[in-house]
Amino acid sequence: MRRALLVVVAGLLLAACGTATGPPPLTLRVLAGSELADMAPVLDEAAEATGVRLELQYTGTLEGADTVAAGRADGTTDALWFSSNRYLETIPAARDRVDTATRIMGSPVVLGVRAERARELGWDRAPVTWSQVAEAASTGRFAFGMTDPSSSNSGFSALVAVAAALDGSGRVLDPAAVDRVTGPLAAFFAGQRLTSGSSGWLTDAYVRRATGGDGGPPLDGVVTYEASILELNRSGRLPEPLTLVVPSDGVVSAEYPLTLLRSASPEARAGLARLTEHLRRPEVQQRIVETTARRAGVPGVAPPPEAARTTLVELPFPTDKATLDALLTTYLDRVRRPARTVYVLDVSGSMQGTRIDGLRTALIGLTGSDPSLTNQFRRFRSREDVVFVPFSDAPGAPEPFSVDPADPQPSRDAIATRVRALAAGGNTAVYGSLEAAYRYLDQAAAADPDRLTTVVLLSDGESNRGPRLPEFRAFLAGRPPSTRGVPVFPILFGEAARGEMEQLAAATGGRTFAASDPQALDAVFREIRGYQ
Amino acid sequence: MAAAPTSASTSRRGQGLRVTLALVLIAVLLGYGGCEVYRRLAPPSSPPVVTVAGLIGSEKQSFFDDPDVVAALARNGLAVTVSPAGSREIATRDLAPYGFVFPSSSPAAERIQRDRGVVTAYAPFSSPMAVATFPDIATALAGAGAVRPGADGRQVVDVRVLLDLARQGTRWDRLPGNTAYPARKTVLLNTTDPAYSNSAAMYLALASFVANGDAVPDAAAATRVLPDMCRLFADQGYRPRTTAVLFNDYLTTGRGVAPMALVYEAEFEQARRVPTSGLTDQNVLLYPAPTVYSRHTLVPLTPDGDRLGRLLDTDPELAELAARHGFRPTRPGPAAAAFPPGPNAAEVVDVPSYETLEQMLAAVERGCR
Repeated sequence: MRRALLVVVAGLLLAACGTATGPPPLTLRVLAGSELADMAPVLDEAAEATGVRLELQYTGTLEGADTVAAGRADGTTDALWFSSNRYLETIPAARDRVDTATRIMGSPVVLGVRAERARELGWDRAPVTWSQVAEAASTGRFAFGMTDPSSSNSGFSALVAVAAALDGSGRVLDPAAVDRVTGPLAAFFAGQRLTSGSSGWLTDAYVRRATGGDGGPPLDGVVTYEASILELNRSGRLPEPLTLVVPSDGVVSAEYPLTLLRSASPEARAGLARLTEHLRRPEVQQRIVETTARRAGVPGVAPPPEAARTTLVELPFPTDKATLDALLTTYLDRVRRPARTVYVLDVSGSMQGTRIDGLRTALIGLTGSDPSLTNQFRRFRSREDVVFVPFSDAPGAPEPFSVDPADPQPSRDAIATRVRALAAGGNTAVYGSLEAAYRYLDQAAAADPDRLTTVVLLSDGESNRGPRLPEFRAFLAGRPPSTRGVPVFPILFGEAARGEMEQLAAATGGRTFAASDPQALDAVFREIRGYQ
Repeated sequence: MAAAPTSASTSRRGQGLRVTLALVLIAVLLGYGGCEVYRRLAPPSSPPVVTVAGLIGSEKQSFFDDPDVVAALARNGLAVTVSPAGSREIATRDLAPYGFVFPSSSPAAERIQRDRGVVTAYAPFSSPMAVATFPDIATALAGAGAVRPGADGRQVVDVRVLLDLARQGTRWDRLPGNTAYPARKTVLLNTTDPAYSNSAAMYLALASFVANGDAVPDAAAATRVLPDMCRLFADQGYRPRTTAVLFNDYLTTGRGVAPMALVYEAEFEQARRVPTSGLTDQNVLLYPAPTVYSRHTLVPLTPDGDRLGRLLDTDPELAELAARHGFRPTRPGPAAAAFPPGPNAAEVVDVPSYETLEQMLAAVERGCR
């Protein structure tokens, strides 16, 4: 028996010899697009198999490129995993900081059109071009949602594809071509009724509208990743399935390159290589296709069964920043439906000090004073109406500002001047002030209905004056259709009533944003720009 | 295994203690030395292995990952770790961590040799540049004369016709008789990013030969042909950094992304030999006319790197294994003889000098605008 015990002990020790040679477990810090949250099960299994775990930190494609270009990713991040590196590659300071990139999976940006409308338009039968979509959009037969191209890659890809297809030269876009297609682009984007800072919230908002929830009337479709459309159809959340429409004149696809930073340590380098090799195995690729409805990144693995079967003609993607910036600026300042952006701002006594300082800084950051890479796309846009409703004991009178397209900066400067004069004192009348904002919007919408309208609510405490949430809900039910669908985006700040704010967001088709401290308001106000 | 200790004159309790102590002792001994003894006894003995790290053109990654290559190198006392990088990019990198670099062409190697003052270089194998495409795409191109019978009757891609199509901005959907691929984009060969990758530089080499009236360009001619060269690259839009990515795109997404892709013959030949590569009878390989040979050239940076270079250059077994990955061995022998005929010798041209090629690459890299 003792002999047997000895054999067991020796056996265990020799077994230990074997495992001692395996690489140690490793966690890699990765800047990633938020849509990769759906990879969690696959990445858990990969960590189990390879010992390499990814800690994903979500950020937008442009912000990510900004972070890398400024060198802020070096030392704090090992790798990048966005839907595409194409924007990043146009910035020399960023492109010099990245190393090997390996494609893991892909998904084209296409149209999802509710089945009945697709039938009416004939899009379920014959090939459709982006020009035909533009024609339907400009004549009111195709109302759609799309993410903000400066915040989210699906919108960015769609913008490039639409512009390249409408240009039709077959060549890559340049700034002159962007200028030429401005008119046709405006026709296409006349149909955009919903914008979003992320592709996840876009599909949620589409579902809410389709099911008669708040946030506006139902839409005819979305422009987003094929994978998001397939997942929506699989989810059972839609009363009417979406028909996939792949424009025959071409698409731009996400390719999800897992990208090493040059500054990464040798261990991180080896770990990422191990993980990449694992993720590209046929059986893992199969699992990715099943779990996320994306297409495989390696040959020989079939796409999802419901995916489009036609050839996906990839349109040439511009390689110079001047063209991409011209395209984004054209979209934001000239082509998209102008925004009507309302800020309902708590200036009660509790906001005194760092809180109101943080608010001022955040708003002034949107007035064009910061020339950094992404902030030029976050500032108040040409043609935008910006309305302040400051409140304490009672709502202040709404103060509208219009950004003059002929000379926008003086208008933005006027906004900055007003913001600097914000002063704190008094109580907190949250819902009465929201009612004042909506009453203002009733009038504004009657005079000028063609705007994407949203309300941001910043309060650092519970409402202690005027109507309560239930009364506000009743008020909301009495609004005309033009303003009933206006979403409220409450910011969770200070001692704000978290539960009530979530209910308010849900009741209006908005969403909440969290600002942990006054310094965080800056980033939150910029993030919300994608939804305005 | 070890025998249990015995003693006639001790109590059962003492005996038990002693046995336990002996077990612990054996366990400790095993813990300290056991693994070493086990390692020495378990595998067949081999010479001590030194590790050498290298930065290589991405198309050679699968060669160095091949377990048979790893074993063959180990038998010769080498463990090789590699990182892939664009061949032109290698020249700009910090090479301190590496024992060798292995770019995909002689001009790229030449640049590194000059920059680092290295006189030795080994070119154990080469690969002609080739066009990976699809039968119906080849048919569509034939309608415009861009695919035609070559000097020996085999189909070739006529680079002169491609230049003309690019000059005129001809779209795929305007090719006479083309219904198979009516894409509304300019007919262009898909390449990698010339800022990083050697295969794009090789395209520049062969296209500039044609644009220069069938002569290898010198510096003056390089300036003259630049507008043509720019069209070939700029209008493609975004291009991958490495040929491995381009070939993966060609196999995975197919004609929508890369209707015709400029690759190393080796990549296609290797895929042909691997059943799971995704290559089917819908994938065809044509040589461009003219074409160039890319000579994969190892530049040693340390004595161990030099050992590897010499080994790859002379070892018949490694030549055999390189052939398995599609690389044509430089030295004649059974591995070289097993290859299908390459491009017709009449259609192979020389690469411009390193300076001329760099001059054109720098201009193309600036975006030609």
